[in-house]
Amino acid sequence: MSTVSRLTQRVEQVPFLEREDYSLLFVLPGLFVFAAFMLFPVLYLVGLSFTDAAPANLFAGEGSFAVLTFGEAAFVGLTNYVDVLSDPEFWNSFGVTWLYVGTSVVLKLGLSIGVAMVVTSDRVRGRRIMRSLIILPMGLPAIFTITVWRSMFSSADFGLINQLFRQFGAEPVAWLSTRWPAFFAYNVTEMWLAYPFMVIITVSALQDVPEELHEAATVDGAGFFARFVHVTVPSIKRPVLFAAILTAAASFQQFLIPFVFNQGGPARANELVVVYGYREALSFSQYGRGAAISLIAVLFIGAFMWINVKRGKLADGVSDE
Amino acid sequence: MSLLSTIGRKLAEDAKNILLTPVEAARDVRYTVRGVRKGEIPPADPLKTAGATAGALLLVLLLLFPVYWILQAALSGTGASLYSASGLSLLPEEPTLQPFVWVIGDLIVPAYNVTVDIPLTGQSLVFSTPEVTFLDASAHGVDRPSQFKHFLWNSVTVAIPTVIIAMCLIVPAAYALSRREFIFRRKILFLYVLMTQVGGGLGIALLIGLYAIYVQFGLNDSKLALAVYYAATAVPFNTWLLKTYMDGIPVSYEEAAVVDGAPPWRIVTEVIIPLSTAGLATVLIFTFLTGWTEFVVAQTLLGTENYTLPVGLYALIDEYSIPWARFSAFALTFATPIMLVYLFAQRYIEGGLSFSGMEG
Repeated sequence: MSTVSRLTQRVEQVPFLEREDYSLLFVLPGLFVFAAFMLFPVLYLVGLSFTDAAPANLFAGEGSFAVLTFGEAAFVGLTNYVDVLSDPEFWNSFGVTWLYVGTSVVLKLGLSIGVAMVVTSDRVRGRRIMRSLIILPMGLPAIFTITVWRSMFSSADFGLINQLFRQFGAEPVAWLSTRWPAFFAYNVTEMWLAYPFMVIITVSALQDVPEELHEAATVDGAGFFARFVHVTVPSIKRPVLFAAILTAAASFQQFLIPFVFNQGGPARANELVVVYGYREALSFSQYGRGAAISLIAVLFIGAFMWINVKRGKLADGVSDE
Repeated sequence: MSLLSTIGRKLAEDAKNILLTPVEAARDVRYTVRGVRKGEIPPADPLKTAGATAGALLLVLLLLFPVYWILQAALSGTGASLYSASGLSLLPEEPTLQPFVWVIGDLIVPAYNVTVDIPLTGQSLVFSTPEVTFLDASAHGVDRPSQFKHFLWNSVTVAIPTVIIAMCLIVPAAYALSRREFIFRRKILFLYVLMTQVGGGLGIALLIGLYAIYVQFGLNDSKLALAVYYAATAVPFNTWLLKTYMDGIPVSYEEAAVVDGAPPWRIVTEVIIPLSTAGLATVLIFTFLTGWTEFVVAQTLLGTENYTLPVGLYALIDEYSIPWARFSAFALTFATPIMLVYLFAQRYIEGGLSFSGMEG
């Protein structure tokens, strides 16, 4: 008797399982590893946020069992949450994050709709090659793109942006060590990082706009602008909205750009919320506090996605069958 | 084999398209000129087209300028900038490949002595392999080459276990989700799809928890533990991707195999696996790239000795003594192969998902 059929019989003996449910065994290993490395840390993080964990007490316990008791860290209840929520530094980080989501999404949408309209325009020859060239940066690893952009904004001699400034007779700017210029630099980089994805979605949406609608509008005497507002926008609204929501979530969780550029500086002014939590824990050794901040961030992003998925019915496309 | 020939055909098609573009364009221009001469096309029309095309071309060049800039920086020997005594120049002044030599360093296979004991005689034969030199960095004026090879080795030892572990977890699950009906099936699918959307950001947020657990178990700075983590993060998206791909394989093939009396495991090895090579290749590439390009977790968990390529790249930008040309060369050597592989895989899924096994 083969192992499989023996297994099948075993499965049948369990009250709530059916004969064919042994197929679940194929899925379980993946699910188990995924849960162990993604869901367990989440639970652990929740526990951590109720303690005063710091390297000194957290790693003090003996053996692996100490993981479950959080080393020798003490339970402090909601102290971390109260501390965080009454800390102006947190609200600064929180505000900067939402501001960043707002500005970067608007910039990303503007750039990609503009680019997509250009590379689908009837007037332009060689559209297909241009389209494939334009999405090339998509394959570049994020860390490459971000280090390169950091160098472009660098104040050293090779910093491209300052070179151009000097060329046109303007004063060079200390991009990474002044608050708002650094914030601007984040936005520009985010825009470049995200545009290939947005352009792909927008281009395919634009190609689905029926040509007859445009012709009819032209016959009725609509100019370019009127056609854009009354024909193009309504037809591409849904897919572009979908892309906008995904990209807004990406902006909210942006970690690499501030971290690589100047660690969310200068003087912690531009720490987006994920960077803030990370630095509180790993740079300033306040694990409990960092955990609380991260969880608040996760709650917000979860709520944001939930509302959008519910309201935009985005799951329709993916829930299959 | 059929996979390779399909890939070859696609590449050939691409090359043909690119080569034929100028010809097409010339034909187009000639047609337009003739049309204007005969008065069939109003003269303003081609001017507008030319203007629009030039504008679009300018936009494309502007968007891709950072890539060009880094390339020219890598090729300029002095690490100089665009801005020089003679004003802005778009071409490197003294092009050289020396920065790339710095990145790669020596490529020398050292001499080995191989000793073979001859049994019963008490004597032994000694072979000396010659030293093979592919690239001698010091001959090109590079004294202390970069640690690229060291980082590369670390990346390889992280990425390969990632791929092996991930494939073991993904392939059976994708098959079961695609072909079998069982308890919780739809719930698991929904969880996976949900995780593909929110997984990335969650990763960084729970990094604190992950780091604390790893330190307590003494697993931080272990490349294998990092590989298991990468494999776990790769599970939802890739399982779902492969499942979608397998859905495209007609059930009639399996039915035919069942009629012919094949046991279940032979159906898998002889119908499902061969027919989903393209999907498997895509998943393989994606899981490999997960480990190859990830930065944050690697930077947090690994010690200096075990830095992978992305972390090595990041470590370079803080060393102000590094000439700019060398940094660019390092970054490009890291990124270019990934970009090519990624773009190819990306294209291939689009074709792969609509591929039908019915043709044979």
